[in-house]
Amino acid sequence: MSRRGRHFFAGALALVAALAPRAAEAPRHDLHLLVNLSGPGSGIIGRAGQARSGLYRSADRATFEHVGPHHIRMFHLTHDPRDARVVYVAALDGLLRSPDRGLTWRITTSWDMTEGKAVAFDPAEPAHLYLALPDGIAFSPDGGGSWERRQAGITRAYTNALVVDRSRAGRVFAGCELGIHLSEDAARTWRRVRPTAKVTYDLRQSPHDPRAFVAATSADGLLVSADGGETWRELPGIGRERTLHNIVYDPVVPGRLVLCGWGVGVQVSEDGGATWADRSAGLPRREVWSVAVDPDIPGRLYAAPFQEDVYASDDLGRTWRPLSFGKATVFALGFLPRPAR
Amino acid sequence: MKRAFPGLLLFVLLIAWPGGAAAQPAHTGPMPSGRFEPAASLRRDAYLARRDEAVRWRAAQTPLANAGLADLAARLALRQDAPGVSARLIEVLRTPSGDMFWMFPVTCIAYLGRDQLTPEARAALREAWRTYHPLRGDTENHWVMYYTSMLLMAQLWPGEPGDRWFNGKSSDEIAAEARAWLRHWMDLTTTIGQGEYDCTHYIGEYLIPMLYLSVWAQDPELRQRGRMMLDYILADFAVDSLQGMYVGAHARTDDKTVLERWNGLSSFFAWLCFGNTAPPAAYGGWGMFFAVVAEHYEVPEIIHRIATDRAGPYLHRERKRTRHRWRHSDVRNAPVYKTTWVGPDYAVGSDQGGLLQPIQQHSWGLTWAAPDPRGVHNAIFANQPFYGAEELMMYFTEMPDWMPASVTFQGKPTYTSEAKLLGGSPYEQIFQQDDTVIALHRIAPDAPFVQVNGFFSKDLVRAEEDASGWIFAQGGRAYVAYRPLAPYEWRPLEGGGRRLRSPHARNGVILQPASVADFPSWEAFKAAVRALPLEVRLDPEPRVAFTTLRGRRVECAYGEPPRVDGRTVDRAAEWKLFAGPYLNAEVGSRRLELTHGRLTRVLDFNTLTITDAVRP
Repeated sequence: MSRRGRHFFAGALALVAALAPRAAEAPRHDLHLLVNLSGPGSGIIGRAGQARSGLYRSADRATFEHVGPHHIRMFHLTHDPRDARVVYVAALDGLLRSPDRGLTWRITTSWDMTEGKAVAFDPAEPAHLYLALPDGIAFSPDGGGSWERRQAGITRAYTNALVVDRSRAGRVFAGCELGIHLSEDAARTWRRVRPTAKVTYDLRQSPHDPRAFVAATSADGLLVSADGGETWRELPGIGRERTLHNIVYDPVVPGRLVLCGWGVGVQVSEDGGATWADRSAGLPRREVWSVAVDPDIPGRLYAAPFQEDVYASDDLGRTWRPLSFGKATVFALGFLPRPAR
Repeated sequence: MKRAFPGLLLFVLLIAWPGGAAAQPAHTGPMPSGRFEPAASLRRDAYLARRDEAVRWRAAQTPLANAGLADLAARLALRQDAPGVSARLIEVLRTPSGDMFWMFPVTCIAYLGRDQLTPEARAALREAWRTYHPLRGDTENHWVMYYTSMLLMAQLWPGEPGDRWFNGKSSDEIAAEARAWLRHWMDLTTTIGQGEYDCTHYIGEYLIPMLYLSVWAQDPELRQRGRMMLDYILADFAVDSLQGMYVGAHARTDDKTVLERWNGLSSFFAWLCFGNTAPPAAYGGWGMFFAVVAEHYEVPEIIHRIATDRAGPYLHRERKRTRHRWRHSDVRNAPVYKTTWVGPDYAVGSDQGGLLQPIQQHSWGLTWAAPDPRGVHNAIFANQPFYGAEELMMYFTEMPDWMPASVTFQGKPTYTSEAKLLGGSPYEQIFQQDDTVIALHRIAPDAPFVQVNGFFSKDLVRAEEDASGWIFAQGGRAYVAYRPLAPYEWRPLEGGGRRLRSPHARNGVILQPASVADFPSWEAFKAAVRALPLEVRLDPEPRVAFTTLRGRRVECAYGEPPRVDGRTVDRAAEWKLFAGPYLNAEVGSRRLELTHGRLTRVLDFNTLTITDAVRP
């Protein structure tokens, strides 16, 4: 066996060893979905509907429990890094906070900070909370107890994505209408590190390399940075013609990226975005709103085609099966840690 | 016996169900004269009688077992069967839905029922505001309904902690937030204009909350603000109305009302407040929630006079603003420059064109007076049919690609239709001088539809295509000359009438109306228009030089400011918040002055005063 072959074999064994017990264990995360049901009985703002939209949670990835109020415009969620029971949802009303996994809720923002698009904690300063708004960025020093605007340096302030660099406190990226912006002083001042023609809809930091970032845009393709977000380049193979909604790293397998968008379907890369495989064949349509990689089940993907069921795949998108919801727009798919009992 | 039985059955049904016997006399009866009644007491009596007609109709319309919120509100307003209303309310509150359209009716019922509802019903009301999570919405009318309701309900249940409210906030926090938003909105409106301005339907969603604020707010400042805004919005409607019909450019209207100009909720308010038209079916639906509290509002004489005095034509200009722009704009609220010319026989109104509002914008048109406008398509106008994610991204915050389709299944089915007659266009520029309108179009080749749609009503008295290139028409007592600037074809319209479809990228329309009274004959009108100096060029950009029937030389070129009699028009400098014989306000002033004859009323939001004066 060649040296390269031995390395591959050893690596594969290590991977199997790492994953096998996890597959047998109970999942450590719960799947969460922000759902707008659009089939019979659905409603629009101001008009009745019997279907219950809003936050759904699944422990077993097969049955889904509605949590909290009926709500047709919830866009993003996260949890308090100090306490997984504390859930935050960015929604039409502003930022909603539940201290008890969705039993009770409070809108933490007022009339001047609404239609939240994304919410992010600073892992290094876990009381610091950032909120993306359609007219800028808000900062809370106390987990949503109080808020102030922090968007100096951003023009055209529509913001749809936020990520806080886990390697340095107060280092924040924002996906705005005309580019990716960076703040290194907890959002007090911003500078544009990558101009774009239209909105950046998703931003992620690699769980494997803190200097690696990726951004999904509306008209500038898929952008990556390998130097901590200082410079960005467009990845080939995706193109600029379609709106990219969601880009996610596999939390376990380095180099694996999963992308979706409007007309894009689901695309999977195993080499950090150098090449892509179209994994949309088993989906009912190529307009895919959101995707997720299961952190507890190797090879498991989820995809939410527009106004269809949510789909799951156990072979990285080569085949898909419908899970639930019938007809829905899923604004976000995500995993939150399951709190200790 | 065979003949008698159906009649007997009908009689029995009418006795058993009072709703079956209740007619809508004003809706189906003769049109009112619209004459202004100078005696204040008689005017007030007539107003209360109209209010009474609407409320009694609603209260008798539906058996209690099936009653909805409007039925219950009407019964409470008449102080009928409080125990039965309470029991039914408890049932209705078990399935709350409709967000802010649930909030303000329930607020209304809670206040009307303060001394009538049973303790159990009051408890059900209280519980509903803890367990049902109504959304704040995403438009100005949603927020007015939402925050007015929140304020009043927090006032009804003061001092309660966050766990007693659906949003987790305390009564004090809710009241403070609502108060701040309402002040903010009133400040915007009285400085740079309303965002959802001059809406044929949504006017109700502003007037109703302001009435509630003026009647039920305990804070004297908010009560006064509510009363002043009620006058403000009603006056804004009155000056842009003809026979009770909302005329001119609208931020929002709908596929029905843009043709049948009378058939909007605004006509309910004209009927109730001014008595100069018939109310729409069911008194406009939502109008009931104004009617049940209407006894607490005294329509100011000066607004009543402005609404009904059409003795002579007048020109009125307004500055409004766009709704909030979230993307694709460097300004949050762009200015809207409106012009309305109102005469006894017709009215013409316009904005400057462009994407000023999403989806339901109506940019320009002529409305003619009709002896009975019910069922009459008394309008002539054109639009450049446009839709797209760009427009929707500007005014809504959501992801781009799904929005156009989603609009069509949210009650706006024509949004993506090439035959649409609603909506603004980025490829349309409009100028109005007196009652003459010039609209120019420079449509991008990748636009959804490279065409202009002109609306020609089924109710035109006549329409002739003249060899001169003009189309001459008559609606009511309005002569209309319509000049398409590019070739066209005719398409039939569902519901009657024809659509002029002009499929050319460089395009335009000139509209030159006149009153029948101004010409000795139809032939004389046509001859006069044919003789008007007119120069048209479409390449490289559309350009028109036209001398109007009123003798003004108007030059319009796409992409350039218009010129009148050689002078360049600077809208930003010349358009005040309101300017005309009846309403006047400076941009940024927070002060509206109403004038009619010897009467003046000043609504001053700087001092929160209403000042009436009569010139000796």
